[in-house]
Amino acid sequence: MPIERVAIIGGGLCGWLAASMLARKVPDVQIIVLSAQGEERGLGIANGGEVLLPQDIETVAATGWRGGDLLKHCSASFVLGTAMSGWRGDGMPAFVPFGEIGAPLGPVPFHQLVAVARARGHAVNIANYALGALCAQSGRFAPPRGDDASVLATLAFGLTVDTGRLRDLLRADARRQGVTEAGMWTGGADREGTTITALHTAAGDGVDTDLIVDASGADSPLAGAFEGWAQWFPFDRAITALRPARSVPPLYTDLAALADGWQAFVPLAGGVAETVVSGSAQGPDVQSFRTGRQRRAWEGNLVRIGAAAAQHDPCAGLQLHLALADAARLVALFPANRDCRAEALEYDRQWRETSDCAFDYTALRLARNGAAGPVWDALRATDLPERTQYRHDLYAGTGRVVLHDGEVFETPGWVAQFEATGILPQRADALANALPTQAITAHLGKVREAMLAGLGRLPPHATLLAEMHA
Amino acid sequence: MAITGNPSATRQPEADRGPVSSVVIVGGGTAGWMTAAALSHRLAGLPVSITLIESEEIGTVGVGEATVPHIRFFNARLGIDEADFMRKTSATFKLGIEFRNWGRKGDSYIHPFGAFGEEIDGVAFHHHWARFHRAGGRDPIEAFSVPVLAARQDRFAHPAEDPDAVLSTYSYAYQFDAGRYAAYLRAYAEARGVRRIEGRIIDVMQDGHGGAIEGVRLDNGAQIAGELFVDCSGFRGLLIEQALGTGYTDWSHWLPCNRAVAVPCQRAGELSPYTRATALDAGWAWRIPLQHRTGNGHVYCSSHISDDDAAAALLAQLDGPAQAEPRFLRFLTGKRNRQWNRNVVAIGLSAGFLEPLESTSIHLIQLGIGHLLDLWPARDFDPLLAREYNRLMDLEYERVRDFLILHYHATERDDTPFWNYVRTMAVPDSLAQRIAAFRERGIVVNYRDGMFLDASWIAVYMGQGVVPQAGDPRGQAVGDASLFLRLAEMRDEYARLAATLPRQASFIERIGANAH
Repeated sequence: MPIERVAIIGGGLCGWLAASMLARKVPDVQIIVLSAQGEERGLGIANGGEVLLPQDIETVAATGWRGGDLLKHCSASFVLGTAMSGWRGDGMPAFVPFGEIGAPLGPVPFHQLVAVARARGHAVNIANYALGALCAQSGRFAPPRGDDASVLATLAFGLTVDTGRLRDLLRADARRQGVTEAGMWTGGADREGTTITALHTAAGDGVDTDLIVDASGADSPLAGAFEGWAQWFPFDRAITALRPARSVPPLYTDLAALADGWQAFVPLAGGVAETVVSGSAQGPDVQSFRTGRQRRAWEGNLVRIGAAAAQHDPCAGLQLHLALADAARLVALFPANRDCRAEALEYDRQWRETSDCAFDYTALRLARNGAAGPVWDALRATDLPERTQYRHDLYAGTGRVVLHDGEVFETPGWVAQFEATGILPQRADALANALPTQAITAHLGKVREAMLAGLGRLPPHATLLAEMHA
Repeated sequence: MAITGNPSATRQPEADRGPVSSVVIVGGGTAGWMTAAALSHRLAGLPVSITLIESEEIGTVGVGEATVPHIRFFNARLGIDEADFMRKTSATFKLGIEFRNWGRKGDSYIHPFGAFGEEIDGVAFHHHWARFHRAGGRDPIEAFSVPVLAARQDRFAHPAEDPDAVLSTYSYAYQFDAGRYAAYLRAYAEARGVRRIEGRIIDVMQDGHGGAIEGVRLDNGAQIAGELFVDCSGFRGLLIEQALGTGYTDWSHWLPCNRAVAVPCQRAGELSPYTRATALDAGWAWRIPLQHRTGNGHVYCSSHISDDDAAAALLAQLDGPAQAEPRFLRFLTGKRNRQWNRNVVAIGLSAGFLEPLESTSIHLIQLGIGHLLDLWPARDFDPLLAREYNRLMDLEYERVRDFLILHYHATERDDTPFWNYVRTMAVPDSLAQRIAAFRERGIVVNYRDGMFLDASWIAVYMGQGVVPQAGDPRGQAVGDASLFLRLAEMRDEYARLAATLPRQASFIERIGANAH
């Protein structure tokens, strides 16, 4: 029996994201969206602005959503990375760009050259060798063309979006694709064994369903066995605000370590979304949250996506990315019929891999940095899972980056984060170390020159935005 | 060296932080000379001595005559000219492997170096083909593969450079004389300063407390010292096992073949651009066509067939007269527990043995060399480098292992005790889940690391009767009639294109690669 009806729980961004994507990509299914308590927390903490990573832009295009619509209707703005301050022990700010950093010298990776140059007394700031960082600093940018083979091809960009507006856009899109709404879910369900056959609604008519997508966040009544992450992600309070801003939005998100948490700014066209996460905030506007993940994302005919499956500390800005990845994975593994054990096993394998990699990236940012204060001292003293600690040790010891199947970031993203948190390799690659200093400095000079020449060919970001939002 | 106080508080002497300055490769053969050649290229200009010790009286196994496309990157990095290399190793091109009698007796399919068909509406081709097949469509999946069609007609040309052209959608490898390849790389390596020492190792000197290898003593009394040792000594693992006792993980309960008998024979007929693996009663036989001869071998399980019967079965199916007496080999499938242990890195058969069913031996050598160079040690041998090397190589070996097990397990054969065993054995969970995912829904489980991509898994599944019972529902957007039409067009186009390729023999002649 094929799947005929899909019920999505959660009328927030996470739910409508899934609804629009499924409606566009899976033929012959009827999709019904039910609203739920806490649905605005479907991605994790409710935030005025979120980030689409460079790889997400491809997912957006493959889904058939138009980038132009995001720019026009979702206050979207281009971002090239994150400026991080307060995360290094030496107090130096750092920039974590999307895209490439520098260029290898023959077989020797760029970051190994940097390690050697530093060991020989040359101060090197990797941000000077990443076009994304240079663009962000100088406010110049235009999206690279697909066929550009010049240094501009090393640039990768993400988009920030106003989450409320993106939700509205996707809702309108989903409704145009035939998705219907069934009002508020009461939390009740009919079951046959482990299969959920219908969801109860406030209006009284149950919604019959073959497959349930839970996009209603971490506190869903359908939550199952849970693995908590509080020892690594101790912050559980968030305050968010969306403020208007008239200036040209910067080309980067901003992430500052505070004494007891962190603060992020996500620039939007005409505004800025601000988030403060800590372990101590009080007051009526405070959202409390709990980090961790479900043991299984897909159980029986229930698929949990976004924060209903896993909630990380959002300091790495991955909330929208992970929910989008979940929805795209569900589309790719959409069950051929109601017995979906094969799909569930493979979905969970991929989900767990991605979730592990996102966890490692976030945990190393939060628990292996140089930020000052007793909260951070305590975090640094916490044991990490062996796999996470190994990533740290291999990089800190040898400058090598471990890459697993489900990585969100490739080598440059990991190197940039280690730099930004003050984890520098104690030893460079022995073969890089055999290079004469002159060869390395000449190469660094050439790379820098090429980057600056590329930068000079780009227009001011303000010009581009004016055109796009016109 | 005496250690005093807290080791982490003692500063490393600067000298220990430099790259190793002497490398000793133990054993020639394919693994040894590939390592020597790659190291001599990469380490050119650095103060590192590279020594290779081999003994002509020991000889080499040299069965790894068929390769996978990655070998081209290895050769290209070394700056090797294709035609020159092919002439000197008597090489032929390889578009894939033909498997005969695997799923059922009488079956034949080719695992090609290239994908089947084209995506339709963003849904992978195999879903469409499976639906076409379920709906009664007759064209086999190989009708949608240019490299398979070309191989069946003994045709070959380099893939087209235009990425939009159908003729660019395949890749290729080589079949060559491994002994000549080793000699070719020996000349390359010696020209770049590698010192070859003839001799048999009779003793290994180890550091008293650490166990690290300090040097080896030869039968002529010479002592060769070194900092890094690459063990290319073959199955026995002279350093990694006999000296260091690293230990071995036995996989013979999944891959029970433990012997091989090999014999070259005279060439006959057209020059095939593919290797053949024919399933027999208690194992399988390879046929590898080279320019000057055809390599043959029979891989078998000694508890199911005697050596004499195995040799007779091989000799019975040669294309032409045998050119030598059959040679017997023994092995145990599995892998060394740590391929990098202390200052010894095992590359080749000393690192593990996976039968040559998918021509992976040379590729695993190549991967070992690549990872070793990426993780090149300083004189103090940071154990983290070995740990990462072992993590990466373990993943590769396990994934190749699973792919090989699939060939034995996905079968309907019940005509001998051997086939009954492999058909019904419990396979690793990692593989069981992959097979179920494909059978039930056409899901191809893929990974970042792992040399066989989707197309390879699909070829073996489909070729051995693991056909999806259901497909990607997104594929339903294409109606039945329209699907049949699209596939018919695709099939005709592929057949037309394959027929435009020249016969391999004339292509080899044309590019000046024929051996004399």
